[in-house]
Order: sequence, then structure tokens, then C-alpha cells
Amino acid sequence: MATVGFFWYYGSPKYTDVGYRPIQPVPFSHKLHAGDLGMDCRYCHSKVEKSTHANVPPTQTCMNCHKLILPESEKLLPVRESYATGRPIEWTRVHMLPDYAYFDHSAHLRAGVGCVSCHGRIDRMDVVQQAEPLSMSWCLDCHRQPQKHLRPVNQITNMDWQPSAEQISFAEKQIKELNINPPVDCSGCHR
Amino acid sequence: MEDKDKFDRHGYWRSLNELAGQPEFKENLGREFPETVLEGLAGLSRRSFLGLMGASLALAGLAGCRKPVEKIIPYVTPPEEIIPGIANYYATTMPMGTDAYGVIVECHEGRPTKIEGNPRHPATRGAANAWILASILGLYDPDRSPKIIHKGLENNWNDFVAFWRELDKKYSTTGGEGLAILTEPFSSPSLFNALQMFRRRFPRALVKSWSPVNYKNSLSTLENAAPGKLKTVYSLDKAKVILSLDSDFLAAEPDNLAAAADFVKGRKVDSPLDSMNRLYVVESNYSLTGAMADHRLRLSPDHLSGFIRALAGELIRRGVNINLEPASETPSAFSFDETWIRALAEDLSAHKGEGLIRVGGTHSPELGLAVYHLNRALGNIGKTVTYYEARDTFDDNLAPENLLAKGTGDAISTLILLGVNPVYASTGDNEISSALAKIENTIHFGECFDETAEHCTWHIPAAHYLESWGDVWAADGIAGVIQPMIAPLYDGRSTVELWNLLATANDETGYEIVRRTWAGILPAADFENKWRQILHDGLLDNSASKPIEINFADESKIVINDSRATTSGKLNLVVVPDTSVFDGRFANSSWLQELPDPITKLAWDNAALVSIATAKNLNLQNGDMVRIDDSDTAVPIWIQPGISENTVVMNLGYGRTRAGRIGTGVGFNAYKLRHKKEISLEKTGGRHHFANTQEHGAMEGRAIFREANLEKYRRDPKFAEKMVEHPPLKSIFKEHSYDQGYQWGMTIDLNSCIGCGACTIACQSENNIPVVGKEQVINGREMHWIRNDRYFVGESDDPRVVIMPMACQHCENAPCESVCPVSATTHDKEGLNVMTYNRCIGTRYCSNNCPYKVRRFNFFNYTKDMPETVKMAQNPDVTVRFRGVMEKCTFCVQRINRGKQAAKKENRTVRDGEIQTACQQACPTKAISFGNILDPDSNVAQIKKSDRNYALLAELNVKPRNTYLARIRNPQPDLMQFDSDMEKE
Repeated sequence: MATVGFFWYYGSPKYTDVGYRPIQPVPFSHKLHAGDLGMDCRYCHSKVEKSTHANVPPTQTCMNCHKLILPESEKLLPVRESYATGRPIEWTRVHMLPDYAYFDHSAHLRAGVGCVSCHGRIDRMDVVQQAEPLSMSWCLDCHRQPQKHLRPVNQITNMDWQPSAEQISFAEKQIKELNINPPVDCSGCHR
Repeated sequence: MEDKDKFDRHGYWRSLNELAGQPEFKENLGREFPETVLEGLAGLSRRSFLGLMGASLALAGLAGCRKPVEKIIPYVTPPEEIIPGIANYYATTMPMGTDAYGVIVECHEGRPTKIEGNPRHPATRGAANAWILASILGLYDPDRSPKIIHKGLENNWNDFVAFWRELDKKYSTTGGEGLAILTEPFSSPSLFNALQMFRRRFPRALVKSWSPVNYKNSLSTLENAAPGKLKTVYSLDKAKVILSLDSDFLAAEPDNLAAAADFVKGRKVDSPLDSMNRLYVVESNYSLTGAMADHRLRLSPDHLSGFIRALAGELIRRGVNINLEPASETPSAFSFDETWIRALAEDLSAHKGEGLIRVGGTHSPELGLAVYHLNRALGNIGKTVTYYEARDTFDDNLAPENLLAKGTGDAISTLILLGVNPVYASTGDNEISSALAKIENTIHFGECFDETAEHCTWHIPAAHYLESWGDVWAADGIAGVIQPMIAPLYDGRSTVELWNLLATANDETGYEIVRRTWAGILPAADFENKWRQILHDGLLDNSASKPIEINFADESKIVINDSRATTSGKLNLVVVPDTSVFDGRFANSSWLQELPDPITKLAWDNAALVSIATAKNLNLQNGDMVRIDDSDTAVPIWIQPGISENTVVMNLGYGRTRAGRIGTGVGFNAYKLRHKKEISLEKTGGRHHFANTQEHGAMEGRAIFREANLEKYRRDPKFAEKMVEHPPLKSIFKEHSYDQGYQWGMTIDLNSCIGCGACTIACQSENNIPVVGKEQVINGREMHWIRNDRYFVGESDDPRVVIMPMACQHCENAPCESVCPVSATTHDKEGLNVMTYNRCIGTRYCSNNCPYKVRRFNFFNYTKDMPETVKMAQNPDVTVRFRGVMEKCTFCVQRINRGKQAAKKENRTVRDGEIQTACQQACPTKAISFGNILDPDSNVAQIKKSDRNYALLAELNVKPRNTYLARIRNPQPDLMQFDSDMEKE
């Protein structure tokens, strides 16, 4: 029993994945950019509404501002080097789904799933860490009951948004309007 | 329910062993994966294996717990049009000699992964054949040469340019004396410009073209009466009676895609009131065209001319105006089947202007001319067969053994070989390699360091067409541009760039050259827009040329020779290009090598095919090695029911010695025998092991392939369903209703399927299907998700052939789902049988339970040694499977998901035809239809209402979503006795 319990918790993504906070090549702080400066997630992760991947921004996006802002900063040296040499910055991936599970960001944004629902309070993180287990059962919790977790589509990047008392009825209306049909069959994600 | 006697009654068999009821065949039937010697010898028992595993697990501990580090590598400056995760589609054209195939290439993040046909291009019409689909693997072939080689050492392009400029200076003074080019034929304005410039600057240079398989051979005499080189366009959709004289137009002739699509238009039968065209085939080999024939006559090649003569005689008797020269010699004693020829002549003469006679393109110009005259007399010219001027075409066919022969060969001091491999592909045991050694400078331009490159002083790697700029004219003159999908992977140059250098000594990029050509063709005003339009569409609309008239100066008598008498004791040798490797250029393509030949079902091999009677006379069995004449070459025998008597057929393209890791040493070189018309065989006593898939998954006795004559169909339209009697189908479980949302289903029209195998390769390309190699194919472990099962019907030495594509039937009551212990295979609410690879533990019970045997198991880690470049060819939208995991057709669920997501984003439902499975898209005849069966207006829902619709093994109550449409044949009433096996009902 104890062994089962041991593996049940310590073997699950709740323990192995939540809190994963790898060191990045550039000390980019989301707390500064997304939190204090209030930049929208989509300014950098620009293709998230169109594509399956939420792209990590290219060096050019950083240089859009940092050509003029803090152009001599030592922390930004790898970024300027990357821009000058044409060699990309090698970020360490934090939120990893296995290769056989296919996730589509744009479909979730279209439905009204907030960034914070899966990624946590990124605007409070100096270094990004994984906030949710991203396990299949965790995904299915929402897929089976989306009305608990949806929000208005124009609030998806709002980190502070809280569900109101009428969350369920509002969400059910949204589900109907947008024809939201989260797959619970294997073919939804496993190809 | 089933009775074993049904097997005999229907008369469908897959191999001679099955027909003879050999005990090995019956034994192998029970096992999906036949026993091999190795299995018997494996010492480790299951019990000890499990014991060992248990112990090692206890010792393994938690060593693998560390999270793997994955990197995300974004762009520095992103290209505007690339969105990571979304594929881009670009149009280009695949050149194959003088022919052009318009394609659309799916590119992920700047690298091409899948090729599809361009719906607007007349040569492909949205479809593709196995060669086009497999060319993506050719791009990523790890055996392509990476660097320029000069006398055995690596070199670079700039040094070559300097070298050429030296030669250019030298030859300019002599007008090109001693300079020679041997190139593969082309039909391209840019290359033609370069050729003309080269000829102007070096008037005394020898410039010749050559290809080992030349489908324009039969046109050459005709071209003497025409304004220039010809391209033929056949309108098979307008023909009601078609005669093919050894012309495999459905699979091998250059217009195969268009011919297949047009031919099948005349065979679509939706109601008993529809009429069908009729196909007569006369051939020595068994080709796919022969398999589709309503009537097939096997005739050895020595009698072909005599047959045409006899046919001409019958046509004259029916009032067709043919000015036939009387036979000069005593006619041969061979008597043709009178009834057959008479019925054929009846049909042809009754359909003047609506008939078509086609002779194989590789046949002699005399036969080509004779057939032209017959077509002309029947009024078919301009209606079903039209001639066009071949623009900018260079195709004057001089064999290398003639170019390098004593005399001309001695005068050559610099020879440039562009895209040709004469050391491998020239005919007979000639001395090309030693002739090459005598020439001071030999420059070889080709994709890999092949047999010819070994003997040349320079080797320049050729860029693949997917990496090149270029242009090419299609058959009816439609212009197409070749644009690159990716920068050249290696240090190669494209054909236009090299030609330009040779002609002008300038080193320019392909882009500049091709743009300059088109600036000369397109009107100057609005050039940029027109140029972008041509790149976007893949072709220039409204650029088709006008058909031309061929006028013969005098109305002399037509000469058709009589049958050639074969020396007794000798056999006729027929050498044909292969359906997989063509003339050998695709020998290093693992997909094409593993694709079984559609009729013989041989994979990874070729053989000397003989008929049953010939084999009996010479006491030959499958796999016996025989010596041809007195040569050292020994080839293995394969007995092929249905090829003509006294004939040996061999496929070209095998026996290569320097093709790369896949193609080297596979099969036997038929080029060395090609010059022989007659041969004798002698058993050497050796044996050869073949990988043949004909007996894999045999399904005995049951009405698998259902067909009927047109007469029977008219009398009884629902004959297909009635062929199997079964009690009412009731399930003990409560069945799902499947009445909401999308419900995916598919139909396969057996009347349209020609068995070409394009679907198999398309599926392989789209779904990352691994290649297992010859040994594993022998074990029955080939991984094709959709396969073509070939059945023979009728008497053993002159059977009919029917081909049935077989993929996962996506049964609603799937027998595989209920037996999976870990629920790795489930049913989704849209009707798909879904496979979750990560859950599969490899019990293989699902495959055991599948009545169609469409589940494929990864016995080994087939992707372990995948070369880096081949990894680039994998489709990122589909999981790459590991060892121990079962896989099968998913109805291209990645395309379904993509289609649904795209539709959702636009707040609409998926339109019919928007989601196409890879097999459906590639099929030249559009035999496969896929879509939402709940939508009454969808194509697939309407096809499923057809009378010909039947579900395979429906009596098992598996409720497959994939159904078939039975085949209808259209035999001539006078020849009905030849099809008596169909009339037993």
C-alpha cells in the first residue's frame, strides 16, 4: 500500500513536473515584462492564436525594444550576440508534453482558455516555472467540464481575471456560441 | 456460414501454391507471420525471458528519473511566411525526362515533407504516382553526393568554374572540336536556350541526348513527317473502344496519371443505364493495363507486328480504308485467335472517331507508324489522339555505345554527362567504362556518385528538383516553372546553372537564369505579376499550344511486317522498365524498393518471369537460378501466370553496383541482356530467396473481390450485396448510434482502382511509415498501412488479375478494440478506430483478431538508424512509432484534426472535400472517396448509396466504415465465352 501511495504521488507529474524551473541562457524576467510593464503575452508569443505552437519569440522581437532600451546591458549580451551573428538563442523548454501528444494552442485560445489556467501567474515569475502538472488526467478534468474553466475570449491574457458567481451559466453560453467541443476521445490529441 | 467450396466456385487465387492447395500454403494461412528458421532456433523460452525481466526491473531502480532537457530554438529574424506548426504549400513541377508533373509540396518550417499533385496541372490533376510521391525521399537520400569530386579528391564549385573557363577558351578557338555532351532529354525553355547558345558557340561539338527508357521511340518515323518533335496527348475519356498493344498506359507510359484519370471516366457506372468503354489489351508481360482489360490476349513480342497486320486485314474487310502493302514474305504459320481479332475489329470499326489504338512508346518506329495509320483510317486522329509540337525539346536519342564507338569516340577529348548513367544503363556488355577512361576530361553531373561517376575525372553533384530553379513544358504545351522548396542541401548545382555555365561560361544563379528566360516569354508589361502568378499556380494558364497536323507527302502503302519467327528452343526476351525503380534511377529509394510490384508482388527484387508452361518445359521452379545464353549472368526465375508463352520478361533498374546503401546489389541487371531478342535458359542449380507478399494475409474462400459483367449488373444491380448470404446481423452489445457531428467514412471503387500503389506510397510519406527490408518482408512484416492485394481469377496460365486496396476498415464493432488489454485502441465518436501508440504494450491480440489483417506491428525499432537527412522527411504531425507498438491506418486523423481546427477558426463546419486522406488525394483515378457520411450531400454518402456498394466481410457484423464498390467488366458479347467463369451464377 505504502509503495503504491509512494509512486502515486512521487511518480506523478504533480511532483515531477510542477515547479520545474530550469536555468535559461538569458535572464529574461516575465515579472518585469509581462507583470510590471504590462506587455500582452501575444506581443512576443505572436503566433499563439494561429498556430498549434505558441512560439518563443525570435531575437528580432527582443531587439525591437532593446536596440534603444538598455542597449549596453550585460544581461542582454547574449541577445545582441545572437542578433549580430544570426545564431539563435537556445532556450530551455519548461512545459513539455510528450511527442505523441499533440496540443493546439490556437484552438484553446479560440475557446476562451486563459493563459494563466495552464501556465500559472507568469507575470509573477522572474524565472518561468511549470505551475500545473499538464498530465493527461489534468487536461481531461477541464475537457470533461469546460464550463468551470472558460473565460471571455477577450480576457485570456488577463492574469488577474477571476470567475464570477455566474461562471457556469456564462461558460455554457460561450460553449454554445462558439461550438466548443473539447475532445475526450484519444484521437483528439494522440495521432 | 462460409463453405470451403466457395473458394473453388469463385475461382480467386493468389499464388500457384494456393491454387494447387499445397500443404505449406494451408499451413501458412493459419499464421499471419510465417515461421522462419530463426524463430525455431531462438533458444530463450518465454518463461525464462519473463524471469529475467522481472529480476532486471528490481535492479533497475529509479535511474531514469531525471527529466530530459529539451531546447526551444526560435529564429533570429523570422521569415514572414513561416508560422511554426502550420504547413505552407508551394507549387512546383517535377521533371522526368521530357515530361513534367505539376506538384504541390507541403513544407514545414522551410523543409518539404510531402508531395501532392497540383489540381490545376493537366499531367497530374491533383494526383500523383509512386515515383512522384517517393521523390521527397530522393531529396533526403543520404547517399547523394555532398561534394564535387575531381580525380578522387574533394573540390569546390569555384575551381570547377575556373577549370571550365579554361576549356571554354580552348574550345572556342576550334569551334568545339572534340567537345561532346550526352544529356538526358529535356523539354525546357531555359535549357533549350542554353543548348542553342552552346551550339552557336561550339558548332563542331557533339551534343546528343539519351535515356535508357525512351517512350518517344515509336514516334520517330512519324516525326519525320511533322514540323518538329512531337508530343502525343491521348484523350481516353473520349474513347469508347481502346486497344493497347503492349502499352502500359495506366502505370508506365509518361502520361499515366492523365491516362488513368481519363480512362476511368469511361468506366464509372452509377446506374444500370450507364455505358462503359471497353479495353482490349495485347501484351507479353502482365501489366496493370492488362489487369484492367475487359479482354486480354497474351502475345509474345515476335508476333506483335503480325497481329497488327491481321487486325488491319480485318478492319479492311469491314470497310476501313487502309492502304496496306501486301505481305512480301510467306506469312508465318502462327495463327492468331480469329474470334478475338474479329470482335476487336468489329468494335473498332463500329466506333470510328471514338476508338483508340495505342502502341507502347518504347516499341519500334515502324510499329508506331503502322498504328498511326490505323488510327488515322479509323478517324481517331484529332479526336482521341492529338499531336502537339514539342516545344524546346531536346530528345534525339543517341545511345552512348554509339557515341563512344570507335571513330566518333576517339575524337572526343571532353565529354560531359548530364544526368545519365551509361556505365550502368547502356545495353549489353559494352566497353563504356574503358571508353571513358580514354577521354581526357570526363565530367559527370548527377545526384549521386554512381557507376558512371567512378570512371569520370569530375563529378558534380546535381541539385534535386526540389532544390532547383528550372522550367519545363507539359505535354500539351502548358508551361510550368520549377521552384526550389529548400536551399540545396549539399554542394550541388541545378541543371539550368550547369547548362548556363557550359553555354556561356557565366556563373549565374538558377533564379536569374529562369527569370531571364521568362522575361523573354511573358509579355513585358505586367511581367512581375505574371511571374508571381506562374510561381503561385505552378503553371501558366492558357499556355496550351495548338494541335498540329501530320501530313504525309505521298500516300504510299503502309508496311506492317509479319510475325518474326523465333528460333526453336529459344525464348523471346522482353525487357521492361520497372514500376518501382523505373530505369534504375530510383533504386536507392527504400519506399519504392519495398513497394511490391503490383502484379508479381515481388519486393526488393526483380526476376526472370516465365509462364507456367515455359517453366514446366524447362523444369523450373520459383527461385531457381538460370544462366542466360552463355553469359556469366545468372538470374532467378519467377513463374508469372499470364505472361505469354515462349517469353522471358525482366524488369530494368536492378543489379546496380553503386546506387547507395539501399539500391546496391538489389536484383539483377537486365540492361546487360537488353540487346538480345532471343535467349536460352539453363539451370545452374543455385537458388534465390524472394520477398513476395502475395500470400501475406490471404483470405480464402470468401467473396472478397466482387465483380460482374455489365450484362449481369444491368439485370441485377444489387448483385454485390447478394453474393454473400448471412443471417440478420445482431450484436449482443448495445451499439452506438453515431448520429451526431461528423462521421467519417470511405469508399473504394474497385471499378476505378488500377492497382498502381500510389496510395501506398502516399500513406507511407504522410504517416512516417518505416521500411523493414527484404528479410522482414519475407517474414510478412511489411508496414504498409494500405496495401494492394492482387488476386488471379480463372485458369492458371491465362488468368485475369484483380487488385483490391486494403486498409483499416474502421469497423464500428471493431474486433480489435474489444481485445486490447490496455485500451490502446478505442473508437472515437466520429467513427474512427483510433490507435494510441504510447499505451500499446505489444500483445498483438488486436492484429490477431482483425479479420482484414490490416494492423502492422513494429517488431523492431525501425527508426533507430534513420539517417539525419531522412529524419527531415518525416511528417511532424504524426507520431514516429517505436518498437513494440501496433499501428494502422488512421484515416489520416492528423488531416481530419487540422481540417476541423481550420473550420472551427472560421466558425463553420468542414466542407465536403476539404479533408482528403493521403491515399484519396494521390489516387490518379479518384477511386477513393472520403468524407462525412452523415452529410447527405457529401460525395461519400452518395457513393455509399450506389447499388454496387458492399462491405467486406459484413457478415461478421463488424460494420466497417470503409466500403467497396464492386467492379463491372464490359466484355464483348462474341467473346463472352472467355469470361465464362463470371457467368456461373
